[in-house]
Formats: sequence, C-alpha cells, structure tokens
Amino acid sequence: MGERTGLGVVEIALLEALETSPFLRCDEALARVEERIGLAPGYAYEVLVDLARPWTMPVNLVQGQGNFGSRGNDPPANFRYTEARITRAGRAALAAERGEMAPLPIAIINGNTHRAGLRPPFRPHAVIDAVREAIKRPDVTDADLTGMVGLPYFLTGCTVTGDLTALAAGRPTELSLQAQVSISDDRRTVIIENIPPNISTDDTASIIASRASASRWANDHPGLHRIAHLPLADLRDETSDRSRPFGRIVCIPTPGTPPEQLREMLLDVTGVRTTMPVALARPLPALIRHWVQTNASEDLLASLAVLEHAIPSRSS
Amino acid sequence: MAAFPSAVLGAAVLAAEEVSFVLVGSAALWLRNEIADVADADAVIEPGEGNIHRLRGALAGIAIGPVPSVDSLSRGSVVPVVTAYGKVDCLVERGRRDWGRLRRGAGFLLVADVPVLVASSTDAWNLRRRYKERENG
Repeated sequence: MGERTGLGVVEIALLEALETSPFLRCDEALARVEERIGLAPGYAYEVLVDLARPWTMPVNLVQGQGNFGSRGNDPPANFRYTEARITRAGRAALAAERGEMAPLPIAIINGNTHRAGLRPPFRPHAVIDAVREAIKRPDVTDADLTGMVGLPYFLTGCTVTGDLTALAAGRPTELSLQAQVSISDDRRTVIIENIPPNISTDDTASIIASRASASRWANDHPGLHRIAHLPLADLRDETSDRSRPFGRIVCIPTPGTPPEQLREMLLDVTGVRTTMPVALARPLPALIRHWVQTNASEDLLASLAVLEHAIPSRSS
Repeated sequence: MAAFPSAVLGAAVLAAEEVSFVLVGSAALWLRNEIADVADADAVIEPGEGNIHRLRGALAGIAIGPVPSVDSLSRGSVVPVVTAYGKVDCLVERGRRDWGRLRRGAGFLLVADVPVLVASSTDAWNLRRRYKERENG
C-alpha cells in the first residue's frame, strides 16, 4: 500500500498506466500494469472497473468511457471495448505518491468497503476539514474531530445510521443503509431511490417482486401472508446508467392499499434496507492525528487544497 | 410495521411450505428473547428425500439467484441461499448428524400464525458457539 495516499499497489500501477494518455483503451492500460507489476489483466481490470464506476468511491481517481457495467447485475464490457483516463484527483494522488507534493488522505476518504473490506468511505470535504483542523489546532478534541467527519457516506445517497461512537472508537460495528422511499405527488406510486451500494438494483427489484408474488400458503396462513406479502400490483425498475444510476424502482400498490402502508412495508425489505459490517484500524480521531503527525514535516495544507479543488464541490 | 425480522419471516415461510427443520442461530435466539439482532436464518434440515424436495421447492419460490440442486441439499454441509428474506443457511450435514437430538429439545413458537420449530436455548447457544469458534479458526 502506498504510504503517502493509502492506495494499493494495483491502483497506483493503474494510475501510472493512464497518466500519459487522454483516454486509453483499457487493454493497453492493463498491458502496462502487467509489464510493471506482473499482474494479469483480468485481475487488474476488476480494480480498474471499481475505480471507473462513478458510484463506487467518493474520490474518483479514474474516469471511464464505455460500458463499465451498471448498478444492476450487468457486468462491464471486455477490456478491449472500454477506455479510461486519470482524473484530476488521480493525478494529485500520483503526485503525492511520488513525493512531488505532500501526502493525501485518500484511503481514509474512500475506505475499502467497495472491495468487501471493513473501512467505510466518508465525505471527502468532511475528512479534509477534520485533517485541516487537526493541523491548525492540535488540541482539538476527539469529539470535535469525530463530529466533523460524521457518519460514513455512500455515493448512492442512501441514508446511513449506526453507532458512530463505536465506529469512531475503533470497535467493529454494523451500519444500517436505507434507500429513500417516498410517495409520489399523485399518491399512485411508491418510489424507491438511492439504493444502498452493497446490493444491486436488479436484486432489490427481484426481492420486491418475489415478496409480492402469490404464495401457496396464503389461505392457510393469512397472518403470515399479511406481514410477509407486499401488496403490490406492479413494479418498474427505472434505474438508468445515465440519469438515475443510483437506482429508481417504482412500485404501484394494489387497489385499496394506502401508499403509506406499502411504504412502511418496503422500508423493512432486504435490499431497500441493508446492513454493512464496518471497523476502523484505530479510533477515528487517532487515525487522523496519526496521519497528520506522520506527515508533519510536509506541506499538508497545500496538498489538501489541491485535493479539494480536484473533487466535486460540497454542494454537488 | 413488521414485528418480525426478515430472517424470521423467511423461516416462517419455509415452515408454511411444510419444510421440516429446526431453527437455530440468531433467529432462534431472537425468538427466544435472548438476543436483539438477527443476521440470517440458520435451519437444521430434517434428512429425507421428501423433505429435501419440499425444501428445494420452497427455496425456488423465494431465492434471489441460483437455487441449489436436490443433490447439493442432500449431500452438502451448509448450503447458503440468498432469498427475498435475507440469507438462509441450510444446515444439512448437522441435520444428518443431530436431527433426533435437536428435534427432541426443540419446541414450536408462533411467527404470525405459523408454528416454527425452534431449538432449545441450550442447543442454539451451543451450536452458535461451535460455529463461531470454527469461523475464528
């Protein structure tokens, strides 16, 4: 792992492979990675796809062009048919790794839950603010640093709840991730959006459809049927790669079912709500302080400013 | 709204489909008011061709993705299946080894209007301890 950004060897090799070209065919980039670190293209492509998908991590290091798969179950196209280029944030990360500028806390921001790890991602600007505060005011309290960083943040926009105290203290805990479920203005549909990142939108739609399908036991067990069966007349998956990449499933209640009732039931359905185990290597304030102290001899404020300009603004 | 965690509802659906099993793990301990969080449904499956066929039929109705074959449900050890109610771990080897003993200690508890056969607290905790130890190496 790169000590100055926390990026992995493969990620760094990929950024180096992409840095000199505008958009590079992924097979060419992967050939460069193989030449550099000996990793076969199939393995490196999995990492490249993670980097290029816009919903995976808060600081996007690579921009993809072509079919990199979907939030559903669609796989990416073969690497002969996709292209990628390094982003401004990716260039900053590479410069930090090479010592051309001070280190950047990219691994703290991006986490590794997208690769089935336990470290969750956080809001980039919140982490930058907290690091800046720890530099300027070394006596800042742990509570203030934890409060500044806040709960983990996922790009799909799902609501995150959980025991921030446990997470910030470095104890393993579990996050609850909840899609947004709203009732349309005309009250004819219940709309599910911002589906959690650890389930595909196709699977969420399949689960809802399955829970709404007829059951052989419905007449024998009306009590179970009432709480397990979703009163759904129809369902449309309107997730789209371009306009609604984070998921949109439209549910039409059966005649006579108030949309509020369907909404309440959907909030408990797996896929609309998921859980995610998380843990940090050490308490969150200690992680930030350690990072600042380790790199205290360098101009961290300047590198944070570069990163801040390389990522989307706070409001977007 | 739902008073039961998803995994417990999943177990109730299997019971409603007349699959014979003893519920163990976190769902069993939740139904016995001994823990607050339920991860998945762990079901010790009664051995026997008829029951395995009923299990496969029930899973086919609620599985998201591939449904295990009758063969893997008959000969496997732990067969995990992702369903509309969360993950169901079918503990078929445990059923082959321990069905009689677990069944004797188990009792029926109602989930909505479905009686679900739930392992005794002692058996549920013992099995849970054993699986956790194995997981932790």
